[in-house]
Amino acid sequence: MLVICALSLVTAQYQARQLFIELERSQSLARQLDIEWAQLQLDQSTLGKHARIEANAHRDLGMVSLTPERMQYLTAGAQ
Amino acid sequence: MTRMPPRINAASARIAAAKGRPFSASPVLAPKLSVWRSRFVLFTLFLAFAALAGRALWLQGISTEFLQKQGESRYARTLELPATRGKITDRNGQVLASSVPVKAIWAIPDDVQDAPKEKLHQLAKLLDITDAELNHKLDSDRNFVYLKRQVEKETTDRIAALDVPGIETRKEYKRFYPEGDVMAHVVGFTNVEDAGQDGMELSSQKNLAGTTGSRRVIKDRLGHIVEDIGAIREPHDGRDLTLSIDSKIQYIAYTQLKEAVEKSKAKAGGIVVLDAKTGEVLALANLPSYNPNNRSILTGAQLRNRVLTDTFEPGSTMKPFTVALALDTHRITPTSMFQTSPGNMTIGTATIHDSHAHGMLNVAQIIEKSSNIGTAKIALQMPPQEMWEMFTTVGFGQQPKIGFPGAVAGRVRSFKSWRPIEQATMSYGHGISVSLIQLARAYTIFARNGDLIPLSFTKLSEPPVGQRVISEKTAAQMRAMLETVVSPEGTAPKAQVPGYRVGGKTGTALKVVGGKYVSKYVASFVGVAPMSNPRIIVAVMVDEPTAYGHFGGDVAAPVFAAVTASTLRAMNVAPDSAVTNIVIPANPVQESM
Repeated sequence: MLVICALSLVTAQYQARQLFIELERSQSLARQLDIEWAQLQLDQSTLGKHARIEANAHRDLGMVSLTPERMQYLTAGAQ
Repeated sequence: MTRMPPRINAASARIAAAKGRPFSASPVLAPKLSVWRSRFVLFTLFLAFAALAGRALWLQGISTEFLQKQGESRYARTLELPATRGKITDRNGQVLASSVPVKAIWAIPDDVQDAPKEKLHQLAKLLDITDAELNHKLDSDRNFVYLKRQVEKETTDRIAALDVPGIETRKEYKRFYPEGDVMAHVVGFTNVEDAGQDGMELSSQKNLAGTTGSRRVIKDRLGHIVEDIGAIREPHDGRDLTLSIDSKIQYIAYTQLKEAVEKSKAKAGGIVVLDAKTGEVLALANLPSYNPNNRSILTGAQLRNRVLTDTFEPGSTMKPFTVALALDTHRITPTSMFQTSPGNMTIGTATIHDSHAHGMLNVAQIIEKSSNIGTAKIALQMPPQEMWEMFTTVGFGQQPKIGFPGAVAGRVRSFKSWRPIEQATMSYGHGISVSLIQLARAYTIFARNGDLIPLSFTKLSEPPVGQRVISEKTAAQMRAMLETVVSPEGTAPKAQVPGYRVGGKTGTALKVVGGKYVSKYVASFVGVAPMSNPRIIVAVMVDEPTAYGHFGGDVAAPVFAAVTASTLRAMNVAPDSAVTNIVIPANPVQESM
């Protein structure tokens, strides 16, 4: 009886350690992903900077600013 | 089993050995030892036991805690759990400031000194300093020296690969500002310790900064964490901050202002865009600006948040408040007539001027043509106290309650010391000083139906409650007058916006340097749009324009027009006017100063 108890205690402790290591690993992965997410958000902002978009639109796509003469407004519900 | 005692008569055996004498009578035993010797041995033995007991008591009872601590320190470690500083985003969730983990490189100088020269040279190169500088840093008695802080990951990896003895790294955070100079003055920046130094980073420091947590763990020989002991103190990351700023509108405002400041070769400029419905600040930009990601060369002029911290004499942008007060107290109506000829007027010993004689003008025309004399005549009908109360109620001379560092109150002297000439000049914005944000906020009474609302730099979930200053009727009358200012007959035809009805007021004032007026100007324009249902208030200020005129109508009004047109489109506001071709007369009415 005593031997069985002792052995089960050893196994339980061993399993606890294993699970703990797993938990540790997952937590650090979560932290890592958090950091990566923040970094990507930052990248998105940097790349989506209005100055950059405008420069690209003008230079690469040859777009021009809107003028009132070329604007047409559609009103909801109107014919 | 018990051994049988030998069957020998002990007494007889001893007698035999002692030549027939009994043992107890042996002469060897005869000399009496003194009693103290046995007592001494007994006492010493007792003392030794007492010492052992005392020691045991000492270890078990008194110094237990210390010993347990020492034991624990052999295997238990406290880990610091770092907290990340909160992000700052604009109203649409676009990131304006975010922290990224980086490393600080530090050294134990004594250990590094032993490293080969070649490696030290490479280290210096990676740290972007000269060998001499590195040696200077290492030439220290301390055993902790920062070599460089906030080093990005690639560099630290390469330094780690060098494997120089005594070089260690420490985790820290670096703040990045993707919008750079466009957003610099609103967001502000942090120092290397990740503490806010300016702008919203400073004013929201408490919320943005996280609190670091800690946990006690047992580590094995290889440094793996084996078990938690005790409760974990969770780290609390700083809260994210959502500003009221719209990065799109901010960009529009910044680029337009920049263009105007460069074109007019001005010293500086400021612009603020407010949401007239909620009091949120949609954009706030200053020039010159700086790049918060690289602050190695930074001047005071660049850091200055002029919209909030610079006061100037507003000039004619104040006239609507004088007129609104007179209308609200029924002293005049929009059609009351005033004689402004011959273009100058003497009050006491001083004379005030208009740019040229306009003749008979009604109240609406006084605003339209920006007549100083007309405004002064209206003002002199009113007691100074009422005017002072009006100015104070709309926020002039009062510390703005907007939670932003460095916002100044401006100056409105007590009405008790106003002389008539001062009352006259103050009615058209001279002799008092205001900041651009105060001016923009004060215009909410015209943009809304006569009530004043508090401003906010953070996104609001519901609009604030306003405080009534003038009646709805007066506000509507004032809006109609402000709209005439941007007509071809007014002082600011260049403020017209195709597709939208707008209104506003120009201001041009001489700067005061050392208590004297100098021939340097501040050109300003505060406008409201669209007039049918005002959504935004735009205030522009250009400091010391030198090229292409110095009038608010020439320098600041075009900025207002460009910003308003783009902003209203960006906000999806339906146009309220069919006019798309704008008439700008060759010689518009010049504003009086």
